[in-house]
Amino acid sequence: MNYELQLDITRFLYCEAQLLDHHQYLEWLDLLSKDLRYRVPVRVTRERKEGSDVVYEMTYFDETYASLERRVRRLYVKSAWVADPPPRQHHLVTNILVEPGDTPDTCRASSVVLVLRSRGSVEELDRIVGEREDTFRREEGQWKLLSRDVRVDEAVLHAINLSMFL
Amino acid sequence: MLSDCKGATATITEDHFRKIREAMDQALLPQWVLTDPEIYALEHEKIFPRTWQFLAHESELKNPGDFVTRWMVDDPVLLVKGEDGVIRAFLNSCTHRGTYLCAADSGNRRTFTCPYHGWTFNWHGDLVGVALGNTLYGAELDRSAMGLRPLPRLESVYGMIFGNLDPHAMSLREYLGDMLWYFEILLKRTAEGMEVIGVPHRWVVEANWKLTYENFTGDPYHVQSTHRSTVELGITPHRAGEDGRMGHQIVLTHGHGVNITQLTYVPPHPYQHTPESLWPLFEQSLSPVQARLLKHASVLVGGVFPTLSFVSPQHGTEGEVFNYLNFRVWRPLGPYKVEIWSWCLIDKEAPSDYKQQAYRAYVGSFGPSGTLEQDDTEMWSRVVQASRGHMVRNKNLAYNNFANYLMGYGRVEPDPTFPGPGQAYPGFVDAVSRSIHQYWFELLTADNAAEVMSHEL
Ligand code: FES
Ligand SMILES: [Fe+2]
Repeated sequence: MNYELQLDITRFLYCEAQLLDHHQYLEWLDLLSKDLRYRVPVRVTRERKEGSDVVYEMTYFDETYASLERRVRRLYVKSAWVADPPPRQHHLVTNILVEPGDTPDTCRASSVVLVLRSRGSVEELDRIVGEREDTFRREEGQWKLLSRDVRVDEAVLHAINLSMFL
Repeated sequence: MLSDCKGATATITEDHFRKIREAMDQALLPQWVLTDPEIYALEHEKIFPRTWQFLAHESELKNPGDFVTRWMVDDPVLLVKGEDGVIRAFLNSCTHRGTYLCAADSGNRRTFTCPYHGWTFNWHGDLVGVALGNTLYGAELDRSAMGLRPLPRLESVYGMIFGNLDPHAMSLREYLGDMLWYFEILLKRTAEGMEVIGVPHRWVVEANWKLTYENFTGDPYHVQSTHRSTVELGITPHRAGEDGRMGHQIVLTHGHGVNITQLTYVPPHPYQHTPESLWPLFEQSLSPVQARLLKHASVLVGGVFPTLSFVSPQHGTEGEVFNYLNFRVWRPLGPYKVEIWSWCLIDKEAPSDYKQQAYRAYVGSFGPSGTLEQDDTEMWSRVVQASRGHMVRNKNLAYNNFANYLMGYGRVEPDPTFPGPGQAYPGFVDAVSRSIHQYWFELLTADNAAEVMSHEL
């Protein structure tokens, strides 16, 4: 096992989580490659014989860097009501497994993310849990997120919206 | 009136209903009715089992054996396509002891076997297999009477399949009335029509179904405030001289409504930014009047009472905008909860790269992560949060606890020059919302108890 790589990427994911938790979305964009593909496919309840229960034809997010940037910039606008007053949120990232990529400047990692969000004085927390499959690329000496797939567990989400990122 | 109701309506009196009526006559709605649990129980008894509810689009069931499972409020429904191409709908519950029969959201099966004791049903709902049937049962089991229970009514228009639990309900076409004319613009604008992309989004929000239905069907006013951020970011197009008030709100029968925002000139990207290859198809399939409306339209948004809404907008999160059709069902899960089912449909004949862009535009604007939906859900939740208290809930209306629907009331008249059917009011008005309330009230207070009994429901 490549300890340095495991540590590097784990630290990347923790720092990323902290930026997302603190609503520092512009800083978060700096962690993303301009070639990013970011997808959160819909999950369905399907019999095993039908094959995968992950549906890529419809997603919760199907983003490029440009579309994510626009989503982020919106959250800073005064009339993005969902973001002000800001909800309190945490991304708990765990089960991190890092593998080297096909070239020395790439690698991939799987992890589990639990997002909890509290809005106003609403009793119930919004919650999303899922498994991430990420790839990273070293760009000018820095690791950048090149692709992310998040497979959420729920077929019916219990979050009133996904104004946060997963 | 209320003594006839089966539900527990312990504290709502004739006088409270009279007060609702009087408030509505002044374009007001008592706030307590939005989330009151007794009203919610009455809606379950008088509205949901007697009205047409959207279940599925035909493009979701392509081949024999294809099935989808849906909910009509609390009733589980199994829709399956037969070898004859006919789509049938059944209560998704085994006739033996009531087990939830098919647990998958969709798929393809030759038969449906209940795992509890092993009874098997075919595409027609017939009971075709009873585990150990020949040794355990004799003449006491009439298999022909033990088929899956079909929905009392199942009808479709332009690929949209609706069910109704009332065997004596008026036909779907009669119920939709002039909405059919607008459905043609949305769904029958090319020979091939629309197709569902992937599967519907489903998520649970804090909201009441009446407010979400009214928001899409009768409230274009909210867009300038709730969705201002998306205009600033170019996710929602804004053209010079364009104003959301340039358009019409069309009041239809049975609590349905449509809003069409239009430009007075032919926009640089006519037909809602659809690909040019589709324009001649629109002109072939639609009447000249319908085609002209679509050509000038920015947004078409509306709903079919009680729980179906739709919007055909133009959005995009990468600078360019694209058109798609979003249908959504507000499935009530309680006075404070709605499960949203949201489908993205795109013209079947659109070029595949356009379809891909339009689907991404949908995901970026509506659905759980949609930049417009994010703020909508926040607003609906805030209304519910402020609707539980003593003041809002006061049925004697002692705290001025009314929501108001005054816009245009007694002042703005229908525009006789509008070419489509229905009562078309120019600009922003609350006319559709007022008509939704009228129909809701009519159904809620209809003295149908005797009739219900005679159906043995
Ligand atoms: S409940 Fe279905 S077979 Fe017994
Ligand atoms: Fe909205």
